[in-house]
Amino acid sequence: MELNHSLALTMRRLSLVLGVLALIAFFGTQAKPASAATSPSFVRIIHASPFVGTADVFVDGSKLLSSFAFGAVTDYAAIPPGPHKVQIALVGKGIGASALTETLTVNPGSAYTVAAIGTQASNLSLQVFADNNVLAPGTTKFRVYQLSPDAGSVTVAAGGQTLVNAISYQNASNYLIIPAGGYTFDVNSPTNNATLSTSATHDTNKVASLFVVGMFNGTPKSALVTAQAEGLPGVPNTGSDPYALSRTDTVQSLTPWLWPLGIASLLLIGSGFFIRKVIVK
Amino acid sequence: MHVIRVILRLVALVMILVLGACGNSASKTAELATARANSGISTPTRGFLAGGDARKTAEKPVPLLIPVRLVISAIEINASIESVGIRPDGDLATPAHNPWEDVGWYDLGPLPSERGSSVIDGHLDRPGGYPAVFWRLRDMQVGDDVQVTSNAGKTLHFRVTRIAYYPPDQAPLQDIFGNLGGRYLNLITCAGDWIPSQHQTTLRLVVYTSLD
Repeated sequence: MELNHSLALTMRRLSLVLGVLALIAFFGTQAKPASAATSPSFVRIIHASPFVGTADVFVDGSKLLSSFAFGAVTDYAAIPPGPHKVQIALVGKGIGASALTETLTVNPGSAYTVAAIGTQASNLSLQVFADNNVLAPGTTKFRVYQLSPDAGSVTVAAGGQTLVNAISYQNASNYLIIPAGGYTFDVNSPTNNATLSTSATHDTNKVASLFVVGMFNGTPKSALVTAQAEGLPGVPNTGSDPYALSRTDTVQSLTPWLWPLGIASLLLIGSGFFIRKVIVK
Repeated sequence: MHVIRVILRLVALVMILVLGACGNSASKTAELATARANSGISTPTRGFLAGGDARKTAEKPVPLLIPVRLVISAIEINASIESVGIRPDGDLATPAHNPWEDVGWYDLGPLPSERGSSVIDGHLDRPGGYPAVFWRLRDMQVGDDVQVTSNAGKTLHFRVTRIAYYPPDQAPLQDIFGNLGGRYLNLITCAGDWIPSQHQTTLRLVVYTSLD
């Protein structure tokens, strides 16, 4: 009787332990390391201020751009996310003679176009646009940035077709999807009864930009600046269904073998309680 | 006695179930070992310079420095590199010739030697859960060496600088594909749990490296 009791107790404990272990294996907990790496922010700068001539651009006290000419636009540069002190001074005058000092705050992984704008010292500023460079497969993404202070609301057309209607100063259009190829863009300023034109070739899977800068009545004279950035694909799908049967395989996939073990674990646990009941009886 | 018989029958049932699974597992283990071994076997690069691509070769010269082999000693990867583009939905494509053993270099981006972010992807696993070429990418650590050899025989060394996991809709695409601040090679595969309704995993693993 005592032997039976000990055996039953041992069996119960063993079955409980095995059952719990099997359940843990069945659910297959797997810890994933948290993402600790922070992505930089990406910023391109366009000089669109008629007030400041060729300039030096400083970020956080260090010179980022030298002899930055009006109408020039940079590539996207990676900078740490967060706030940054941006200063713009006339070329060669040094950071102490900055005509513009402003804090620019950017988010990790995001891309921005930052336009230096303003027609006088009192309205110099940075106009920040959040960009989306995800590509449109097989086509071109296109965006207009209206940075001409006296253009008013402009209309952008190509081949007689209106692409962007009535876009005002300090604004950027939505992204348009246009076929890749050569274009002649016509930017009409009803305010000035004037049209600017420029030609550009835009490639497949790229992101194209058209900047309207300068003064229709003044200097520097109004102009159209084009730029093109690489379009970004989405991340790949490199995972596979773990429950799928391979076409050349006749053996069941790894994961379903855990099902019998899971059922077995429940049976073991149940047997442990059953034994206890019998003993109590 | 009756109780003991019941227990023995339960144990026997368990043994049958477990042994049956182990039997499957044993053959699976053998196949997994074969799969892992195959990932290190040099396979000819198909569809690139031979056979069906003879027309392409005749039409325009094949540029040098196309990456053809990826070696990561730390996790025992020695894989052929296929050129991949984008899918119709705009996502990066994956290797097509040998999907589970090869890795794919995004050929619309920069070469590994050029300024910018060159990207190589590879499958995490195969249907049914067998490991694929990037199964052990998760084991990489900052500082690990990544070698890329070109079709001209030149080998470049990259060093792991960051490792990160992202939900696929939150992956920083500009960082992964569009960082012009240096010469980078970023490795990407799936991670996390399988979502049957979405036919994808919950995460993407990106290993960022920089040219040594």
